[in-house]
Amino acid sequence: MRKPLLIVLSFVLSASLLLSGCASTNQANSGEGGQAPGKTTSADAGKDGTKSLVVYSNSLSDGRGDWLKEQALANGFKLDFVEAGGGDIANRLIAEKNNPVADVVFGLSTINYENFKEQSLLEAYKPVWASEVAEGLNDKEDYYHALVKQAIVLIYNSKLFDEKTAPKDWTDLWKKAEYHGKYDAPSTFGGGTTRAVLAGILVRYQDPNGQYGISQEGWDEIRDYLKFGYHQAEGEDFYANLASGKTPFGPMWSSGIQSREEQYGVKAGVVKPEIGVPYIVEHVAIVKGSKNLDTAKQFVDWFGSAEVQGEWAKKFSSLPANEKALEAAPKDIKDLDASLKTQQIDWQFVAKNMDKWIEKIELELLP
Amino acid sequence: MNVVDKIKGQLSSKKLIGIIIGIFLTWFIVAFLVYPNLNLLKLTFFADGRLSLEPFQKLLHSSRALKSLLHSVVLAVSLVVTVNIVGIFLVLVTDYFDIRGAKLLRLGYMTTLIYSGIVLVSGYKFIYGDHGVITNFLVQLFPSLDVTWFKGYWAVLFVMTFAVTSNHVIFLSNAIQKVDYQTIESARNMGASTFYILRRVVFPVLKPTIFAVTILLFLTGLGAVSAPIVLGGRDFQTINPMILSFGQSVTSRDMAALLAIILGVFTLLLLTVMRKIEKGGHYVSISKVKSELKKQKINNKLANAIVHAIAYLLFLIYVMPVIIIVLFSFSDSYSITTSTLSWNHFTFDNYAKLFTQASDFKPYLVSIVYSAVSAVIVVILTLVVARILHKYNHKLSTVLEYAMLIPWLLPSTLIALGLIITYDSPKLIILNNVLTGTVWILLIGYVIVQIPFTLRLLRAAFFSIDHSLEDASKNLGAGTFYTLRRVLLPIIFPSIMAVLALNFNGHLADYDLAVFLYHPLFEPLGIVIKNSSTDQVSVDAKAMVFVYSVILMIISSLTLYLVYGRKAK
Repeated sequence: MRKPLLIVLSFVLSASLLLSGCASTNQANSGEGGQAPGKTTSADAGKDGTKSLVVYSNSLSDGRGDWLKEQALANGFKLDFVEAGGGDIANRLIAEKNNPVADVVFGLSTINYENFKEQSLLEAYKPVWASEVAEGLNDKEDYYHALVKQAIVLIYNSKLFDEKTAPKDWTDLWKKAEYHGKYDAPSTFGGGTTRAVLAGILVRYQDPNGQYGISQEGWDEIRDYLKFGYHQAEGEDFYANLASGKTPFGPMWSSGIQSREEQYGVKAGVVKPEIGVPYIVEHVAIVKGSKNLDTAKQFVDWFGSAEVQGEWAKKFSSLPANEKALEAAPKDIKDLDASLKTQQIDWQFVAKNMDKWIEKIELELLP
Repeated sequence: MNVVDKIKGQLSSKKLIGIIIGIFLTWFIVAFLVYPNLNLLKLTFFADGRLSLEPFQKLLHSSRALKSLLHSVVLAVSLVVTVNIVGIFLVLVTDYFDIRGAKLLRLGYMTTLIYSGIVLVSGYKFIYGDHGVITNFLVQLFPSLDVTWFKGYWAVLFVMTFAVTSNHVIFLSNAIQKVDYQTIESARNMGASTFYILRRVVFPVLKPTIFAVTILLFLTGLGAVSAPIVLGGRDFQTINPMILSFGQSVTSRDMAALLAIILGVFTLLLLTVMRKIEKGGHYVSISKVKSELKKQKINNKLANAIVHAIAYLLFLIYVMPVIIIVLFSFSDSYSITTSTLSWNHFTFDNYAKLFTQASDFKPYLVSIVYSAVSAVIVVILTLVVARILHKYNHKLSTVLEYAMLIPWLLPSTLIALGLIITYDSPKLIILNNVLTGTVWILLIGYVIVQIPFTLRLLRAAFFSIDHSLEDASKNLGAGTFYTLRRVLLPIIFPSIMAVLALNFNGHLADYDLAVFLYHPLFEPLGIVIKNSSTDQVSVDAKAMVFVYSVILMIISSLTLYLVYGRKAK
């Protein structure tokens, strides 16, 4: 009788010690920052002088996270990532407003950062590289600064279709019966790419009298978009479906194309609609209430620098916002960028309404 | 004088403890059981101080939400039927009828105690899914079969029916031991058939337990997440995933809350109905001297053969996923993607990786710590409450009991949402702390959802103690605490251990509650497993899921063995 009790008790005791250990390291990570910087560095500095930061991002896939972790560690930053879709990351940050876990957030898009700024979730800081970024991309009040420009495009399997047989615009997908069931349509709406695609379609039907600023026609379009598309089953991958011909059409962010082409051995064709394609700008910002403010600033200075962004561009075929880094970017991606027209989108209008749009879509329009 | 002072001192210190306990319990109940849920109601219907029916209107316009709600209710009701049929059959096979190999069968039926949730569903998917063993076999028989046959309502119902029989296996088999064998014998002597005896003698004894597990069943069905997400497909989605997606977005929280409240209303409805039925008749065994149940032979040869066949078929259904998970944990990624097993692809690499990479080991630690700590807290808390209920019987103690049973009325989704919405900003009642974004909120969530179940069991244990023992101890001069420690606790010790083990195992791989409340840097096992089994992750991660699952089963089995295995010796 006694022995099992003893085992369980000792087990539980050690377990609770562990939990409180976890909790206190967590608190140490986010110990008193603002007032006593000296104390902070000693609190969150590891044995070898590395400083830890919690980084939220949606831009860690395809090996980005591993690469960044490694590079950052070599420069004295120990990063803990929290990875999820752009919308999900944004929701999490907003939910944790009064007790932020994150120190730094990067990726997402201007819509999200505008939202964060409005809800005063961000800490203003002007990184050393701010002036190297192309005109008009940074926040004028220095709450967020641009890292990468990303075109959100409709791509197709170039083995099966060519410029003539592929759709000319998103709307062709559901308006022309030949594409029905052949394109990838979203079932979840937490991802930044999905949201940008929806924005690109919906803003064409802006109507101050319509529900959430969109005319009935616009909502009908979205309904058809979702109705005639193929919705992935659990565990399916869009590009795999594109390669196999199951769904030869679907959305992709521009810097994600190259690694997938290599992985699946199928070149992607890019649809170039007359109206243009949505460009989203990924930023980096420091989360207000970060207890590691100094480290966060140092990290932002390092991460956005022309050198690191140039490497990032080479490695992950991104289009850097930093003009000095742009020189290092691969030619393919620069050519693609040059061939695309930017769709005119009122991002503030989108930022204001996006969550309501998503709610309406999930409630009423998703089949 | 001295003696009087001493007595006075003792009295007041006793009173002081009583007052402290009272204050603590009141605070706990208000802060975690009442306030968050009321706050949720307020947020949903009185968002800006006025009664607003907007969420209702939105809901009525959403055929998708209404359909999902309907699916959840249909699933819950169907489960009540199917699980009771299967569960009662299991218990009859292992404890009532004389079945060959009953011990082995029992072990098989107990597999649901060592794994659950997302792990279990993935296991079934590997057998009946696209590339599953059974599917491959069926395709050879019927080449025209669609390989994705295993999805939708029937698939979800099938998996969940076998997944949630744990409570039957534990509690119903305990209850069946209480059937008085003499009554059975005399019934038989009077010419009653096997079926008649079951219906008129055995079932009445089981009825209270069946009621209790049915309520749990219904709640499980309403709150189902893992099975519908993985197997439901487009045509059978339940409401919880939708609540989850709305709950994460601040703008849509009112929708999430409304949906969760509707689930709560259904639960209330069920409880009312159950109470009505329960009142209909209470059967109390009249025999004072019970004789132990002897296993019954099924005399009809055909019936006997059929029962045996079904028992072993069920055994296979229960055991196959476990075997598959164990086998795949020793396979390389090639075998996992293609669902093939062969000696050539046998490997220990997955296990080696687990013990060499800290990141792979961390989710265990997180889950074990959460499960263990919450299980212990709940047991301590409910022990205090059960003791109060045992000792005092007045209005306050009744209020206490009902308050502690609140979580039983509420789907865990609603509890989670209430916590998130209430404690995402500083609240005086928890000393102006914020719980969102801390490791504590999930712990609190676990504690809350375990209270009713634990209390029911521990209360029953306390009430089964003969009062004369306590009196005797006191008459011999033992103090209250001494009596509690040396007389009462040892008697209910087995129950305590059982509850600890069940609570611990029950939350090791939890996904449904964790997904709302987990701290992003301390991902529990359930989240990690779900992410690696469904997202577009590397195949290596998929292999790790099997290893995670196997170790999980081992931990759970060990826990069960510590509790039950020793007793058997």
